[in-house]
Amino acid sequence: MSAWLEQPKDLLANVGEGAKFSAKIMGQVYSLRVLRFLGEALRQAGVLITSSTVVIWGLVFIIGLQCGLEGAYFTRSIGSPAYAGVFAAWCDLRELVPYAFGYMMAAKVGTGIVAELGSMRISEEIDALEVMGFDSVLFLCATRLLASWLVLPFMYVAAIGAGFFASYLTVVEQVGDVSSGGYLLIFWMFQNPPDLLYSLIKAMSMATVIVLVGCYYGYNANGGPVGVGTATAKSMVVNLIMVHLIGMLGTQLFWGANPRAPIGG
Amino acid sequence: MPFIPKRRGRDDDDRPETEDTAVHPTAGSGRKDDVAVPDDTGLFVDPDEGRASTTDDTELDLPDDRTEDVDQRAPLTRLSGNAEESRRESSAGTGGGVSVVREPQAEDPDDEYQWHTGIRRPTGNPDAVEFVETHKAFGRNKILRGLNMGLPEGMISMILGPSGTGKSVCIKHMVGLLYPDDGDVLVHGESVPSMGLDHLLGMRQKFGVLFQDGALFGSMNIRDNVAFPLRQHTDKPDKDILEIVDRRMDEVGLGAAWDKFPNELSGGMRKRAGFARALVLDPSIVLFDEPDSGLDPVRTALLGELIQEIHQETMEDAREKNWPHMPAFTLITHDIMTARRVSQFINVVWKGRIVESGPADELFDSDNAFVNQFLAGASRGPLGMN
Ligand SMILES: Nc1ncnc2c1ncn2[C@@H]1O[C@H](COP(=O)(O)OP(=O)(O)OP(=O)(O)O)[C@@H](O)[C@H]1O
Ligand SMILES: [Mg+2]
Repeated sequence: MSAWLEQPKDLLANVGEGAKFSAKIMGQVYSLRVLRFLGEALRQAGVLITSSTVVIWGLVFIIGLQCGLEGAYFTRSIGSPAYAGVFAAWCDLRELVPYAFGYMMAAKVGTGIVAELGSMRISEEIDALEVMGFDSVLFLCATRLLASWLVLPFMYVAAIGAGFFASYLTVVEQVGDVSSGGYLLIFWMFQNPPDLLYSLIKAMSMATVIVLVGCYYGYNANGGPVGVGTATAKSMVVNLIMVHLIGMLGTQLFWGANPRAPIGG
Repeated sequence: MPFIPKRRGRDDDDRPETEDTAVHPTAGSGRKDDVAVPDDTGLFVDPDEGRASTTDDTELDLPDDRTEDVDQRAPLTRLSGNAEESRRESSAGTGGGVSVVREPQAEDPDDEYQWHTGIRRPTGNPDAVEFVETHKAFGRNKILRGLNMGLPEGMISMILGPSGTGKSVCIKHMVGLLYPDDGDVLVHGESVPSMGLDHLLGMRQKFGVLFQDGALFGSMNIRDNVAFPLRQHTDKPDKDILEIVDRRMDEVGLGAAWDKFPNELSGGMRKRAGFARALVLDPSIVLFDEPDSGLDPVRTALLGELIQEIHQETMEDAREKNWPHMPAFTLITHDIMTARRVSQFINVVWKGRIVESGPADELFDSDNAFVNQFLAGASRGPLGMN
């Protein structure tokens, strides 16, 4: 029985430490100390763009296709094919794109950070940085957080665009029960500008948490290569939990009292 | 080992428990039959200090109130005295008692510290780095156990000792990557454990460190690795930086391999690249953790010469520019030939303490059995495989 409790206990034990560590990193970014290593932050931003953008857009595009397809056939089956746009307007923007983005961030960026920092830790590269007189948290973690804040908002908005475009493609071009104008009318009717902002906030909270969790597990890795592997796996679990938590709370908070569909009851 | 027997050995000793000889090196001067050896700090180092038995360690872990408690129990245990107890009692005599006769105990095979005279032969130079009664444990594994060690300015010092004694751990203490559990580490007279982060980061720029495994950044080629500290800490134009870097790379014979990444290099090449990186900022304290391991014999000899040359250069530089502190180079090595050729000062460390230290030629003539065995690389002597 105790073996079953081991893992959640372990996770909880890390919460306090992790929160302190994260607060430190956020502080370094907010206080602009991180600008001392602006070059490194821009380099990290470059890495983020070249290594992760296409994957995330691709994933979101496929989700958009699925969503459009199911929306089109479902609305056809209940005799209101014109309303397929609701699926895209709501589900894409509010849920699926943020989740897809969160999953991909956790899988690609989060684990990447853990593996990179973790191997730097065990090969004493972080120690070497420290010894050369660098604040290693500032240099390694704060720069990554800043890089993600610089890049991800744009990447995310573009991802929403990709999702919408994919839904449009399936509904209007492939299934074709509704005209382009009819689709867009409903599509725009069921969302307003704040929705985009809310969605962005949701996604950026996920991204921030993922980067911080990655930094925490990577920076504090120990126990050799095996330790880095374990840390990567643990960070993935924590990140998925956090993505869902943020997804759920965000929906309740932003759209719970939405007069169009008060999901908050 | 419990410390109760030891307390008996010191029944006539009314100093409080923590005022042990192991904690205050000067306190041992109360002993009659020891010749106290002055070191250059003007303090007296008790040659018998290292002999305090292993029970010291157990003792230091106890909170004060518990030692009180045990004091009262001591007579009881004495009454119950079994054979085991009395055997311990005889060995406990070595435990730094005040008026214990020393002769028979020196032969005691159980005494871990019988070879640790802790003598520090003076050099006349101030210490760049100083360990004062430093203790460090990882969990139950005690690594440093009251280390008193100095690395004099203006000299090439060596830290020699068996594998796993904590030499690399020492280096990490000097640069504030690890903090001592007890005691202090001073760099140019400033206490490292009590520095704030910014102060510490500034202090570290005095250091050039070569880690045991090189610790090159895997994401950069070796030229960028060597240039890294210069690029981040100076405003020199890139052309000047690369000039300095290429000179250092040529010195260690890596001029042609500059565009290789660390994972494409052999262990010895990584070492040499790390060596170049450690020196690129002209540090005043240089720490090399086994710069010669993984090198062929010729390269090892050349590296020794290179270290001497660079030290000479840095000394001249320091004199010219009136550096407040002369450059102190420190090598950790297992290669006795390097030690013979290069070293000017030697610290022999074993079991978390100094066995003996002093100018190299004096130490090579030492009559300490452990020092002799170690510096000769002999298989017979106090040091075995365990
Ligand atoms: N971070 C750590 N956590 C736990 N134990 C450690 C740690 N670092 C070192 N040790 C332990 O400290 C002891 C001394 O290690 P250290 O690397 O200083 O040895 P060393 O004297 O440099 O040996 P070698 O000559 O083989 O390099 C070892 O027993 C090691 O297990
Ligand atoms: Mg070592």
